[in-house]
Amino acid sequence: MLTKQQLLAPLAALRDDAIVVTTMATVRPWGLYSSSDLDFASADSAMGHAADLALGIALAQSHRKVICLNGDGSMLMTLGTLVTAGQSSATNFILFVIENGTYEITGNQPVPGTGFVDFAAMARAAGFQKTYSFDDSEDYHAHLPGALQQEGPVLIAVRVEPGLETPLARTPREEARYLQVSLADSAHRLREALIMSK
Amino acid sequence: MAQAQLVLEALGRHAVTDVVSLPDNSSAALLLLLRESPDIRLHSVTREGEAFALAAGLWIGGRNPLVLIQNTGLLESGDSLRGTLIRMRIPVVCLVTYRGYAKLARWGSPPANPTAEILSRPDLDSVAVMTEPTLRAWGVPFDFLHTDDDVSKISAAFGQARDLSAPVAVLVTEDMN
Repeated sequence: MLTKQQLLAPLAALRDDAIVVTTMATVRPWGLYSSSDLDFASADSAMGHAADLALGIALAQSHRKVICLNGDGSMLMTLGTLVTAGQSSATNFILFVIENGTYEITGNQPVPGTGFVDFAAMARAAGFQKTYSFDDSEDYHAHLPGALQQEGPVLIAVRVEPGLETPLARTPREEARYLQVSLADSAHRLREALIMSK
Repeated sequence: MAQAQLVLEALGRHAVTDVVSLPDNSSAALLLLLRESPDIRLHSVTREGEAFALAAGLWIGGRNPLVLIQNTGLLESGDSLRGTLIRMRIPVVCLVTYRGYAKLARWGSPPANPTAEILSRPDLDSVAVMTEPTLRAWGVPFDFLHTDDDVSKISAAFGQARDLSAPVAVLVTEDMN
């Protein structure tokens, strides 16, 4: 099982010009590693819809990698998105399912199916081109660079230790830069940045 | 009854790039045309809540999407609509086919405050009873597409969505042909 640091630090080093969409218990930790204009927090938004939102960005930005750091609880809320992504043309879409086994932000209540649900197997059955499962830091470090270069959609399931994240807020007092503005401002700024960069 | 071809042409005039949809009888004719369209990408989703999140992502990515779903799916997707297009101030037009409209129109106008007695009446489709009050509660402006004469309302909806920087619904009350 990885720590969040072991999960996120190497990803931040390798993300290049990829768009990164975070949600729930990875929103603040990712903000410690990145303050890119291409980061987007699906926070103060729709419950469980980070993956389909990120898929939409990927379909619109086909020349650029789009990485979604989804949680296991969030993924279970919209499992149909695995099929929508699997049938799509989003070869640039990389979907992480970060398995901490809990609804961390609401107090680490257990997520249904923890211990036997196999997200990589579900993604393969749903049409994902490439899937990975990691629960060891060295294995993850060794294979992450190659995984990020695969033609997708790609699903990367990673078992991580649950933490003590608290409910998210969007306020200037938040350390993570992308939580310092409203969800609407964040969405409009990212659109402008992507249109300008075309 | 509105012709699907006229609706498609209206979408073209407003440079719609993508339609995100789950099919139903009323939208079937339009979806057939969209599958053949060289200018508009059609994205099929597994549940209507996905449609709003996917459309939000497409818009953030620089596209100009439209959502095409039935009113049953609209009710299912409340949190997704709230947390994406509404909360993000994204100007997307949603064509919502209005199951149960004919029975409701015969009975009267939708009650502002539906009761359990009204919602359980066998001669009414409860999703029709709930559609307009729900859109009002969610703060989503709407108008109606009944016939070809109303196709111009689609253009008005695009203008309203842009002016409000918010989603706007057009309720399709009869099957398109």
